[in-house]
Amino acid sequence: MGAIFSLVAAGVTIVYGCVWLPNASNGQFFLIAALLAWTLTSSMGWGSLAASIAVIALGVLLAIALEWLLIRRLYDAPHRNMAYFVMTLGITQIMSGVFSLTYAKWSDQFSLPPIVSGITMIGPMPIPNNRLLVMAVSLVVLGLLFTLLRYHPYGRALRAVFQNREAAALRGVNVKGIYKLSFVLGTAIIFLGGLLFALAYSFDLTVAWTMSITAFAIMIIGGPGSVLGALVVGMVFGFTQAIVSIFASPTAATFSYLGAMLIMLLFRPNGLFKR
Amino acid sequence: MTNRNKLAVLVVTLCALALPFLTNDNRFLAFVVGMTFINVLWATGMNLMYGFVGLIPLMFAGIAGIAAYAMVYFTRTLEWSFWLAMPVATLLAAIVGVALGLPALRLKGFYFALCSLVIQSVLTLAFIFFPTFTNGDTGINQILPPDWFGGQLSLSSLEIVIAILAVSGVLLCAWLVRTDLGKRFIAVREDDILAESIGIKVVRTKIIGFFIVSVYAGVGGCFYAAYTGFISPRTFDVLVSLNIWLFVAFGGRGTILGPIIGTAILAPLPYLLQDIQAFKEIISGTLIIVVALAMPAGIYGAYLAARSRKPNRSMEARMQEQRV
Repeated sequence: MGAIFSLVAAGVTIVYGCVWLPNASNGQFFLIAALLAWTLTSSMGWGSLAASIAVIALGVLLAIALEWLLIRRLYDAPHRNMAYFVMTLGITQIMSGVFSLTYAKWSDQFSLPPIVSGITMIGPMPIPNNRLLVMAVSLVVLGLLFTLLRYHPYGRALRAVFQNREAAALRGVNVKGIYKLSFVLGTAIIFLGGLLFALAYSFDLTVAWTMSITAFAIMIIGGPGSVLGALVVGMVFGFTQAIVSIFASPTAATFSYLGAMLIMLLFRPNGLFKR
Repeated sequence: MTNRNKLAVLVVTLCALALPFLTNDNRFLAFVVGMTFINVLWATGMNLMYGFVGLIPLMFAGIAGIAAYAMVYFTRTLEWSFWLAMPVATLLAAIVGVALGLPALRLKGFYFALCSLVIQSVLTLAFIFFPTFTNGDTGINQILPPDWFGGQLSLSSLEIVIAILAVSGVLLCAWLVRTDLGKRFIAVREDDILAESIGIKVVRTKIIGFFIVSVYAGVGGCFYAAYTGFISPRTFDVLVSLNIWLFVAFGGRGTILGPIIGTAILAPLPYLLQDIQAFKEIISGTLIIVVALAMPAGIYGAYLAARSRKPNRSMEARMQEQRV
């Protein structure tokens, strides 16, 4: 759970840190990925692995289409984070309308066949191998992402844009190209998060909204634009969710995130892992 | 205010007050008109915050919800009169709203919007998880219309009351933005650092604005509950806040007439298009995107811009002719 939280928050944080695009519809993207995977496996009889690859490909295509259709039009607008926030809330509304017209009529609980079966005992806790695999994949992807941002020329350009757009542009960085790349990359990562979530847990349509808010909370607490922050805070959130859910209720966990986020916004709007 | 404007205000007011009478024969139309008036009141409040102070309060519906639930609690459990419960509930909601919003009001722009979204989510959750006051997810139904000297106000009289309220809400807003306070609001919207430097207490101004907005939300919420007779957490969730925001942005933020136009066009839509109810979210989502992308000033704002541009254009045209 923590690993998936981290992953989605990393996707959101890259897009916000770089493009200044607070993607309020990240939860819906997350859900689309999960639902598409469900459609491909349950209705069309694909294997989980093939479905996963197809879903990621579709996610990239969707991101490119969205970028071309909507996102790029506001790259130069002043206060564009506000405009984007509202716009993505619009996207959220459209998607939830579409979902309630389609998937909500078919089922109210969705789950995917696992990729691997079997159970491993870690200490006293039995954990399905499938979830272990999901966790491993998310950690590997997070690691790759981290390396990419740190060492690859694209990652360096992206971090340069995080820090100072004008200076990056002066140094010959194609700022808009970076915007585009990071939107696509961020969206693909969110898709991957949704996919992994669908593989590990059964889900319903309300997960979208929870995920949106949680990802924002992680991003704010971790610091916008910081993958490390997303990783650490996401993990903490995942564990607290598990623990609080056992001892209290999932709602109490949600309340506590939101509280943490509000406190963070008040006292350190730049987050714990400010770059 | 010029004489022409005064006349326009008078005509619009009279038309607004006449609407409930005109539609009285057709209950359905009358209901649509009543709902539109409540939404006009809400949109005017939202406009005060979004259009003049420059912040998007996405917890708007939540505050309306607090007032509505409090009103129901006062009238049902404590058996107060609606006319006592309504102001007390509104005041309570406004105080809670300011207390919740107080920390957030130090933030600006996007961070405020995000914070208010979080507060709205917390409020929605609270409505669901404190069933003693709210009856949880099922909501409260059969809320009685306001009492009136022993009897009960009939729905058609309630519509007239709501129309009067909406009109006075708009007039109050129009008056308010002309006062010094309104000018401070606009200064904060335009440039809060500059505003601070010329001695405006930015946070205090925002708090005052937010209190007034919460009162609008609360009054609207109380009348919504009394008028429709049913409230649930869904009635006051974030989509409702967004919808009210859309009325304002679509009509034209920061103008008095804009939000009214936006509401008059958009608010009746879901009732008139009942057969395709499920498309409502899709339609409003699309409109939000269109507004964000193409019409930041809204339709009335675009009209104003076109009107003020026209004389210049004809001047240019004339100059060109002379040159030719």
